[in-house]
Amino acid sequence: MTLFGRRNVLLAMFVVAAVTPFLVNDYYLFIANTILIYVLLSIGLNVLVGYTGQLAFANAAMFGIGAYTTGLLQVRLGWPFWLAFPSGAVIATAVGLAISLPALRLKGLYLAVSTLAFAQFTQWAFLNWETVTYGAGGFKTPPISFAPLPFSKEIGLYYLSLLFVVVLFVLAQNAVRSRFGRAFVAVRDSEIAAQSLGVDLLRYKALAFGISGFYAGIAGGLYSALLNFVSPEGYDLFQMVLQKSMIVVGGLGSIVGSILGAGAIVVILEALRAVKGVQEIAFGAILVGFVLFMPGGIAGFLKAKLRGWEEPLHRTQGGRPPPSTLVTPSEKSEVRS
Amino acid sequence: MTAPLLSVRDVSVSFGGVKVLDGINLDVKPGEIRGLIGPNGAGKTTMLNVISGIHPPHHGDVLLDGASIVGRKPSDIARLGLGRTFQTSQLFRGMTVLENLMTGLHHRTSSGLLAACFNTRRHQEEEEATKEEARQALEFIGMSAFADRPGSALSFGQQRVIEIARTLIGSPKVVLLDEPAVGLSLNRLAEFDLLLRRIRDEKGVTLILIEHVIRLVMDVCDQVTVLSSGRRIAEGSPDTVRNDAQVIEAYLGKELRARHPAS
Repeated sequence: MTLFGRRNVLLAMFVVAAVTPFLVNDYYLFIANTILIYVLLSIGLNVLVGYTGQLAFANAAMFGIGAYTTGLLQVRLGWPFWLAFPSGAVIATAVGLAISLPALRLKGLYLAVSTLAFAQFTQWAFLNWETVTYGAGGFKTPPISFAPLPFSKEIGLYYLSLLFVVVLFVLAQNAVRSRFGRAFVAVRDSEIAAQSLGVDLLRYKALAFGISGFYAGIAGGLYSALLNFVSPEGYDLFQMVLQKSMIVVGGLGSIVGSILGAGAIVVILEALRAVKGVQEIAFGAILVGFVLFMPGGIAGFLKAKLRGWEEPLHRTQGGRPPPSTLVTPSEKSEVRS
Repeated sequence: MTAPLLSVRDVSVSFGGVKVLDGINLDVKPGEIRGLIGPNGAGKTTMLNVISGIHPPHHGDVLLDGASIVGRKPSDIARLGLGRTFQTSQLFRGMTVLENLMTGLHHRTSSGLLAACFNTRRHQEEEEATKEEARQALEFIGMSAFADRPGSALSFGQQRVIEIARTLIGSPKVVLLDEPAVGLSLNRLAEFDLLLRRIRDEKGVTLILIEHVIRLVMDVCDQVTVLSSGRRIAEGSPDTVRNDAQVIEAYLGKELRARHPAS
């Protein structure tokens, strides 16, 4: 294993993440916690888009559903966070599975448009279903407590997020290098060949939707606790663009790339805060730059330049990384009759 | 008289009023290599799509081992023992050659999602066994050296052969090959009939072969079925078919008569 191989770098990142609360002020801790939450979102989205090749736009909505469920169960029904949070994840997973049902028969742009419609509908419900969601103004959630553990809310929530990132990263990494990961990539690269090898398309697409819903639900619950506030604009189309950017910049079809991409995008956005006014232009330019010059994302770049970054599934040796256009490769594999 | 392993009964398919297949019958016995030939647009690939469940027939029935498979999902039909390859390369380009072959074992492995996520001992053992079997399958086609190449870095001909191995690894009873010789180098083409016979003899697989390389069909097939405009116009041994007047007119033409003069 080389010095700058994936394992060592991940270990170093983990050590840095673990000591961060002792080194930085509350503001930077908040940024670090935001990164952890986006890591969860990008891992889930990468399973769906990067591995399974489903061009879906519902992840921000499922993130919102996780946050709203966690928040509303506390505020409306008086549930404790520790019960509301897992319920939020369960509901988001269930919604992920449910929207996969109509989405399963659609491909490429049709899937994109229908999931986008679902996301807009969710946004509409957050805004207008005031008797439940408190409407456009959003609502405050009760501060969570880590008693009897000796942590402040900020530090406790940070470590809780880190715990979820580590565990869910390992689980996702194991899943994608198993027969499940192979089935996902098979569906992405050739639906017709996948099913002729006994891979049930509907089942594996639904599974990928469910996984991304679960990760988004966990992230949503943590995010509501981080902000102590839930409002519709946090889960809108820009949120979706942000998450898509993360997996493109990090590397489509790479779990470790999701970590790098989430980190990179949050840091870039924060750095650009200083240059108010050109923030969005600069952000757009960075995205275009990645798509043009680093189509495999950071993970693809590292794989090509450094030893020890090879991953199971779509490893590229020397050659060009797999094309990372936002159009699913499965569209190319039409049946010729 | 052995019972047919695969039986196509009076199958018709039409697309927008055009009859692509018109009352086709086909019986393939176990251990047979069956050729399926005909001019472009004769309905050969549609026939394979009907059998493998991608286009359910509008009329008629398909039996595998005596049981009807019409209306079942393609993935279920694959599980029942029907494998196929495609006219265009459908190798999973994002995977290595070995991972492609391991995907061929998908329906014969059973680890659940949680076992895979937590990487249980049973799952690890199954993964190892899968990898080992994939290596052996590569050895069978003499391509062990390519195990770790990405699928996208192979020549078209190599991709086609890997796809055949990927189908075989799942232990199918019948394999449908759609123009497998396209893109093969002359060297490989020379060995190709040997490979097809080895698949039948060593793996016990029944083959249905669509092919335009007539020499290959005539050399390797036990029986040949000729389609033209969605209808079966001839069936029999290669020699019978070769000398059938209707076949010569519809498809083979003068070229073949010149190259294979009737004996």
